[in-house]
Amino acid sequence: MKHIEDIEMSGIATAVDITLNSLVLGGVFLIVAVGLNIIYGLSRVMNLAHGSLYAIGAYTGYTIVSLGINFFAALLLAPIIVGIMGLIIERTVIAPMRKRSMIYTLILTYGLMFFLDGLIKYSWGNEPRFVAIPAFMRETVSIFGTHYPVFRLATLATTAAVMIGLMLFLNKTRIGMILKAASTIPEMVSCLGFNMNYIHIGAFILGCALAGVAGIIAGPLTTIDPLMGHEMLISSFVVIVIGGLGSLRGAVFAALLIGLVQTLAEFFITDLAMVIVYMLMAVILAFMPRGLFGEGKFE
Amino acid sequence: MSGSPSMPDAHSSLSPLKLIGLVALFIALALLPFVWGNRFYISLITEIMIYGLLAMSLDVLLGYTGLLSFMHNAYLGIGAYVVGLFLIHVSPTSLWLAFLVGIVFTGLVALPVGWIQVRTGGLAFALLTLAFGMMFYTIVWKWYGLTGGDDGLMGVPSPDIQLFGWSVGNTGNPAHMYLLTLFVVAIALVLTRRIIRSPFGAVLEAIRENEERAAFVGIAVRWYKLFGWVLACVLAGTAGALYILYKGYIGPTTMSAFAGAGVLMMVLLGGMGTLWGPIIGAGIFIYIQDYISTMTEHWEIFLGLVVIFLVLFMPTGFAGLGNFFKRLRKG
Repeated sequence: MKHIEDIEMSGIATAVDITLNSLVLGGVFLIVAVGLNIIYGLSRVMNLAHGSLYAIGAYTGYTIVSLGINFFAALLLAPIIVGIMGLIIERTVIAPMRKRSMIYTLILTYGLMFFLDGLIKYSWGNEPRFVAIPAFMRETVSIFGTHYPVFRLATLATTAAVMIGLMLFLNKTRIGMILKAASTIPEMVSCLGFNMNYIHIGAFILGCALAGVAGIIAGPLTTIDPLMGHEMLISSFVVIVIGGLGSLRGAVFAALLIGLVQTLAEFFITDLAMVIVYMLMAVILAFMPRGLFGEGKFE
Repeated sequence: MSGSPSMPDAHSSLSPLKLIGLVALFIALALLPFVWGNRFYISLITEIMIYGLLAMSLDVLLGYTGLLSFMHNAYLGIGAYVVGLFLIHVSPTSLWLAFLVGIVFTGLVALPVGWIQVRTGGLAFALLTLAFGMMFYTIVWKWYGLTGGDDGLMGVPSPDIQLFGWSVGNTGNPAHMYLLTLFVVAIALVLTRRIIRSPFGAVLEAIRENEERAAFVGIAVRWYKLFGWVLACVLAGTAGALYILYKGYIGPTTMSAFAGAGVLMMVLLGGMGTLWGPIIGAGIFIYIQDYISTMTEHWEIFLGLVVIFLVLFMPTGFAGLGNFFKRLRKG
């Protein structure tokens, strides 16, 4: 009988493990996808370089930590640096595209993606990097029989903090309310005397900084390599397409769903995990073209 | 359909002078390998024509239907892998049957993918092409048993080119491969032009210009988009069939997002909505790529910069230059 108990215990432990892992993964997807959503919602720009900015966030975090600076300082610095890059990108190439057809903007950010990827390979090389995390985070805690790394729990907490902070910012502060209003009726906000130019810039910086946050918290979870941005870009597309473009509620559900599906698929079938995710997306889109809640704002 | 000046029908037939010029160009190209024995350049021109066909197929989608496909090279890859697998496992000598199987299979894959894609809007369509393209890339990369994974599909036989029972050449011979490519691309170009200049093509352009109005006058927008998509994918599959015969090998990098950006750049370089422009664009791109990749390994940075530059300052591409000069002359 003892034997059976053991199997049951490990079954529960595995279930807890998978649940927590999918929450962690889903959380990272969510931060990246929300960044994309904010930029799209306010500027109607689908930034294909978003994944590369996420990778730059991870690499900057790696460099800051390897310079001997505290990991928590990196957690603050990396998003700021990526945000500044966002400002530069917005001013130089995105702003001149304001009146042009969306196809051109898409192609432009696609070019930007290759430019940034090239820069990453030029600065950090092709070989994978690992971020050194603080010692106390390398330990594990016991939850329902599974030994779970503290760092992953900290990642989960950070994700929750970022999302709650973002909610409070958008719903409780004046700037946040202006941003929200501008995403629904930009003409009216413009008429009320707010400079839409600043709103576009602000949205782009905010979105990029979120990509930076996701990058630095995801860095220690995986290895950092030049291709990490591509995978994340595709995953966050899947999230926003399933959730409905511009829908925050949809993004939350879709991110957790994709996190779970991907974790399960990686646990059971490994190699073709992403194919399962694409299939799921195809099935959902075939029946719900505007996303899970029908709130998608596709143009 | 004819008579109305807004219909593309009105300028569907080429002026006799242009027609004679094009026929002369075709004959000159066909005679090229007989008078010029340089194998390197014959092969380079073959590659340019194959990628030209791929870029042209993307132009059908981008320039005429207004739909963006980021990874059109995925369908070249599907066509190439299917033809290669057919030649290896089924019949190493049936060239035309392999062609047919490759093209039909590409179409059959494109159909359900397109059906899902056209259900969404223009932006989501573009994002979905990227997601499905990555899916095909992952499958080809990970399915080691069938595709050879990272190593690629090797040992594809080069069949004889049979014409009405006679063997007129072998695809392993660069000059014969060049001629085969020239004929297939020319036929594809003429057929595509016929389709684009037909009422069907006019509907596609109407959808590009104003989708809502097109739907309002009773056009089944989704079906037309789906036809446009499948047409573009079938053409890309044809380019894939030529590709595998030309190279005798294909690896997953041919289907990567990076290669997809290259195809997009060929169309941009040449000029959207012209059909012939992207073929010129493919020529410029492949030549530049050959040149820069020998000079620096950080080719991505330059590719990115060129794309950004083209979109910002030269959105009409090479074909646009002709109009630009025409306008200059007219004052």
